[in-house]
Amino acid sequence: MPLIRRTWTPAAADEWAREDWIAIVLSPLAYIALAVGVVLSFLLLKIGFIILGVAIVLTVLMHWVIDPKLKTVSQDYEKKQKSYLEALEKIIRWEEMK
Amino acid sequence: MVQFAILDWIWIILFLLLMIGCGVLFFNLGKRSEADFFLAGRGLPWWLPASSVYATHTAVDTPMWVAGVIYRHGLAGIWYAFFSAWCAISAFVSTRIFRRSLAYTQAEWQSLRFCGLGSELLRGWMSGWQVFMAMFNMGWVGIAMGMVCQYLFGWPTWMGLVIFSSICAIYVLTAGYWGVVMADFQQGIVAFSAILIVSISGVMVAGGPHEIVAKLSDMGQSWRLNPFHFTGWFSGDFPIAWFMTMMVIALIGGFGMGTSIDWYLEAQRIQSARTVRDASYSIWWGTALVIIRNSLWAAAVLGFFVLFPNIQETSEYEMGWFRMGFDYLPVGMLGFFFAAILAIHLSTVSSVLNMGAMYATRDLYHHYVNPEASQEKLVWVGRISTLLILVFSFALGLMMTEITKWLIFALWIMAAGVWLPNILQVIWWRFNAWGYLSAWIANLGLSWLVVWILPAFGVLPALPDYLQFWALMLLTSLVYLPVTFITKPEDMDHLVRYYVMSRPIGFWGPVRREAERRGLLDEISHLGAAADEN
Repeated sequence: MPLIRRTWTPAAADEWAREDWIAIVLSPLAYIALAVGVVLSFLLLKIGFIILGVAIVLTVLMHWVIDPKLKTVSQDYEKKQKSYLEALEKIIRWEEMK
Repeated sequence: MVQFAILDWIWIILFLLLMIGCGVLFFNLGKRSEADFFLAGRGLPWWLPASSVYATHTAVDTPMWVAGVIYRHGLAGIWYAFFSAWCAISAFVSTRIFRRSLAYTQAEWQSLRFCGLGSELLRGWMSGWQVFMAMFNMGWVGIAMGMVCQYLFGWPTWMGLVIFSSICAIYVLTAGYWGVVMADFQQGIVAFSAILIVSISGVMVAGGPHEIVAKLSDMGQSWRLNPFHFTGWFSGDFPIAWFMTMMVIALIGGFGMGTSIDWYLEAQRIQSARTVRDASYSIWWGTALVIIRNSLWAAAVLGFFVLFPNIQETSEYEMGWFRMGFDYLPVGMLGFFFAAILAIHLSTVSSVLNMGAMYATRDLYHHYVNPEASQEKLVWVGRISTLLILVFSFALGLMMTEITKWLIFALWIMAAGVWLPNILQVIWWRFNAWGYLSAWIANLGLSWLVVWILPAFGVLPALPDYLQFWALMLLTSLVYLPVTFITKPEDMDHLVRYYVMSRPIGFWGPVRREAERRGLLDEISHLGAAADEN
């Protein structure tokens, strides 16, 4: 099994996997680097451009890891969405309340 | 007072016509159904709700607040504005779970997650609270707009509050969320362009980037360039303990729902995205723009500090970014800058207005008053709710100077003691409606004790903000954890249905095993395993 899975079945994509956790770690790091990198780059400090570069790399990496999984989750879920919406309307009308 | 040329007024009139035009253009889409009036039919590509996330969270008072923390703390002040980073983890966890629930509102989600009387009590409380918060937020940002207009034109504050919120209400009333999100897209572009232009101009007025760095060094203020300059581990006005607490609140809060007051607005944007993937990216990229915006402001405020280093009055240096625009932009650009301020204001007001009306319509009217209401009637109730929230927000806005202190306290207590329960409701199957309700009630009482009453009587020292947070979190848990274990878990049928639909993260073992035992996941697991072999 590859370190980063790039092809997903709907069932496997529904589970919380290593790829989700990688995105969960990379995402805050990308935000922190973005916040610091943008302001220091705006002041034309060399360290700012380096940190901004790191932010961009982290963002690209995060998307590369999580996008195939999100695509599969979305495609599969759209098939079920109609019946879930019908159930939601029954709840608001007190038809399915316990 | 600022003098506008004819070109300035042209900018403003053109912009207002564009905004109101949105309402007319999307009127036919907004009136189709409740789902259209509040969620744009759940069909938006990620970049539209993303621009709405960005535009909504850029309010008139935001640059004042960011200017204040940067002027006081240097670049380390950007961490005060980093609370929006709860979206970093939320985009891939709670956003995904919430989008799959299909709930219109957080109150509705709680009736999917919990059941019985506790769930209904929660739904009623949550929706009532959010309707009130919508009025409060509108009053808050409205009065900030009133103050800006007073500074610019010498108007009494009520004029700026009433005129621009009323203009905004035209397109919210006619097109609902369709009008909001389409206007947000344009407003987001206008606001971001102005922020970029004014920040570049501000930095140049201060002598340019190199000059700002050099001047700060000459003034012995180089520490202001260090985003990680703190005043010690536990001492001073910005200790590392406070920074770490803010990071925990923001980042770990992304596992939960409602850990930030912004969640309730974002939840609407999440549900309006056409797929789970679009929802995730809308939240992530909208917030990335918010973070970039904060950094642009921060650079301009450093320039302002270099020009005016000795301002003591908070209200004066909080206007720093606005002054960089109005005092230094050339004639002709002032109108563009004011149009951008209008964009910033209208995007926030429209979103809050529509969200408050959604809670009033979906959770209060549709669920409790008239469950059999037609779609046409629901759209009209949405419009009437919009109008009522607008009118009450004027009254709240005009009282704001007297009540602000108390309501900020109310917001703080809302965040501290229920922060962990807001996460537990997502990640732990055993947490029930009674535990969540008891957390809210306990938090209300304990926060008064810890923050006001006990320090006033000398029983407890006045605690710094970060200690208040941890103390309230711990003390509240002494109430809601026993309540959760003493009361029964939620009904297993209800939990299984929620689990299969939303597939939550965390500690859901017994529910998952029950779902598997009933064969609700068997077929899925089998298919998954077969595909893995291939």
